[in-house]
Amino acid sequence: MSDAYGDHKPKFFTRWLFSTNHKDIGTLYLVFSILGGLIGGYLSFMMRMELMEPGMQYFASPHKFSMFASMHGLLMIFFMVMPAVIGGFGNWFVPLMIGAPDMAFPRMNNLSFWLLPVALICLIASMFVPGGPSGNGFAGGWVMYPPLSTSGHPGPAFDFVIIGLLAAGFSSIFGAINFITTIFNMRAPGMTMHKMPLLAWGVLVTSWLLLLSLPVLAASLIMLFTDRNAGTGFFDPAMGGDPVMFQHLFWFFGHPEVYIMVLPAFGIISHIVSTFSRKPIFGYLGMAYAMVAIGVVGFVVWAHHMFTVGMDVDLKAYFMAATMIIAVPTGIKIFSWLATMWGGSIRMTIPMMWAQAFIFMFVIGGVTGVHMASAGLDTSIHDTYYIVSHFHYVLALGAVFAMFAGFTYWFGKMSGYLYNKWLAAVHFWLFFIGVNLIFFPQHFLGLQGMPRRYVDYPAEFAFWNKVSSIGAMVTLVGVIFFLLWILEAFLVKRKAGDNYWGEEANTLEWTLSSPPPFHQFSVLPKIK
Amino acid sequence: MAQVRKHNANRKVVLSLSATTLVMLGLGFASKPLYDTFCRVTGYGGTTRVAEQMSEVVTEREIKVRFDANVASNLGWTFKPDEVAMTVKLGQNALAYYTATNDTKYPIVGTASYNVSPIKAAPYFSKLECFCFTEQRLEPGETVTMPVLFFVDPEMENDKRLDEIKTITLSYTFHRVENPTDGAVRAEQRQAQIDKLEAIDLDVPEKDETQINQQGRG
Ligand code: HEM
Ligand SMILES: [Cu+2]
Repeated sequence: MSDAYGDHKPKFFTRWLFSTNHKDIGTLYLVFSILGGLIGGYLSFMMRMELMEPGMQYFASPHKFSMFASMHGLLMIFFMVMPAVIGGFGNWFVPLMIGAPDMAFPRMNNLSFWLLPVALICLIASMFVPGGPSGNGFAGGWVMYPPLSTSGHPGPAFDFVIIGLLAAGFSSIFGAINFITTIFNMRAPGMTMHKMPLLAWGVLVTSWLLLLSLPVLAASLIMLFTDRNAGTGFFDPAMGGDPVMFQHLFWFFGHPEVYIMVLPAFGIISHIVSTFSRKPIFGYLGMAYAMVAIGVVGFVVWAHHMFTVGMDVDLKAYFMAATMIIAVPTGIKIFSWLATMWGGSIRMTIPMMWAQAFIFMFVIGGVTGVHMASAGLDTSIHDTYYIVSHFHYVLALGAVFAMFAGFTYWFGKMSGYLYNKWLAAVHFWLFFIGVNLIFFPQHFLGLQGMPRRYVDYPAEFAFWNKVSSIGAMVTLVGVIFFLLWILEAFLVKRKAGDNYWGEEANTLEWTLSSPPPFHQFSVLPKIK
Repeated sequence: MAQVRKHNANRKVVLSLSATTLVMLGLGFASKPLYDTFCRVTGYGGTTRVAEQMSEVVTEREIKVRFDANVASNLGWTFKPDEVAMTVKLGQNALAYYTATNDTKYPIVGTASYNVSPIKAAPYFSKLECFCFTEQRLEPGETVTMPVLFFVDPEMENDKRLDEIKTITLSYTFHRVENPTDGAVRAEQRQAQIDKLEAIDLDVPEKDETQINQQGRG
């Protein structure tokens, strides 16, 4: 497959710095995501060490702890999950799967990527400049509610955060425009929307969510910025503003954002489940439109994050009902995966293990989600560890497991090398046991009333916190095995065939060499 | 390479997507006026009504109105209601007082934000006159009394959702005004306002139920 032209690569610096090749940019995104994940992971590991015992051990001030928590959230969302599922897998495989030679706007693609390191530098810098009255950095949580983010943080740290997030936001908006155009205009002949692989569907819906929600975040960040620096009072009650309005704007973005992170993951899981059950995905169209439905309904449920701000009962009833409705398309997806496996001849490969674990944990997170959607119940568990547990089951375990699933599924395709199964299996099991040890006990802590975001806690919460922190150590070892198997694969260089999973892996990327030629599909493939 | 270029098709998509982005950005900024209007119309967030005219109907049903007072931490005032609660009939025009003291050594201008809970009662809570409509200036050490003239709209009777409501809490929070205008109310104006309000005849002739229900808008 690799003809002379297809393998003509530019020199190292030109290739990576000025890259306009979707596969190279995808690789950059994946490397960046691993980096973001390691920094974000360090922050959370330190929090878990602190929380291992009651009292204060490692952190000099509560401010610093909250700063770690805030940065952990922002980093994991904007610099780990999003770059991986959208920038990484999206860039690599959407063009390949729909039979396109590249993305629609290769140079804009380069801009999207390079805005991210700039953004990351802003966020990291924010940790070292004055923030709140009691320390460096911004400690107002990833949700950035005023007045804590305005008058509560007079120092410049939060301005760095705003600028960084604006850069990351525009990076994603450009990326979204690129993906939508690519998917609308560059599908190979015969690749109709209704034949399009589910990863492409996931990225398409996610791109729409990005396009509709990120500008609202950008607007609210700019309003925060002017409230802080230009004397406006959008969110200041003394000037006729309303801090609760920020919460509405934030969650109008924030709720779609959680689906932004998980829809591409749904796509990845669908491919893997289908390949290793040796069956086409059950209810393909239902799967595609379930994602569309999740995207649409996701825009009208935001206030389930705000049940305790003092809102009218009727409004609560509405948001409660609307939120529970989301569980329906989500359920469709779960049942379709189960139905795909049902009666299939299942092969328990490494990616399949990650995919199964994803389904298992996503269901746990989904169930606690429906609990919290009940406004009455949520009044008592809001802002406790129950919430922390919920969103880590759907995100940290859900989306991240899907990322590992995708990574182990396509690693050979992307790098050209096969990894060592045993190392990868150790990574899986340590990670799986570790994260469940971390987050399952947090359900109990939450129900007992332990509030989130505090550096210290009463002794009665000690036991489950200890278990949770031990889980973090196990997870850390798991992460080390992750890096190890990557290293091993690059050192040993076992060549990967074009289609090393067998013929059930039947999307277009498997028709190409591993790694694919630098430029592919100079003759567009025809889809029957 | 035989890459099929679809410049025009791409341009169309990009233009409409960019327009979408800009519209959402605009809506984000427009949210402030939109939100304010929404709150005023629906009473969302406990936003009360401002009435032009005194109530002219009064019913048998009684409601306890509780008064709550808060100050922002950087204000340096003491601020309290004179009475913690009062019981009024629906439609009864009532006058309540708050007292504030400037505990600092310099003049301070403050402004009060307010809301009502339960939130669903807010659309029926009408203020005719209130110290919260204007900025208030307090000289060092000055103690002032500030009035609020209000009634609970008798139309509340027609709203089934509010049948169980027996108490309404009116809450104020005083904030510091960083860049006060000249319009801030001072001692003399305040006294004149109180005199004017106390001269008003608050009594409403009682009417019977049937008349009230006919008055109802819905
Ligand atoms: C069955 C579907 C789901 C339902 C019914 C649901 C419901 C909820 C509710 C009611 C809350 C607010 C809890 C509170 O703050 O008191 C919440 C929080 C959250 N959910 Fe979900 N959820 C669902 C799925 C998801 C998914 C798929 C994700 C992400 C992939 C997600 C991510 C989050 C996050 C990040 C938060 C916490 C935000 C914060 O306060 O920091 N949820 N969810
Ligand atoms: Cu949500």
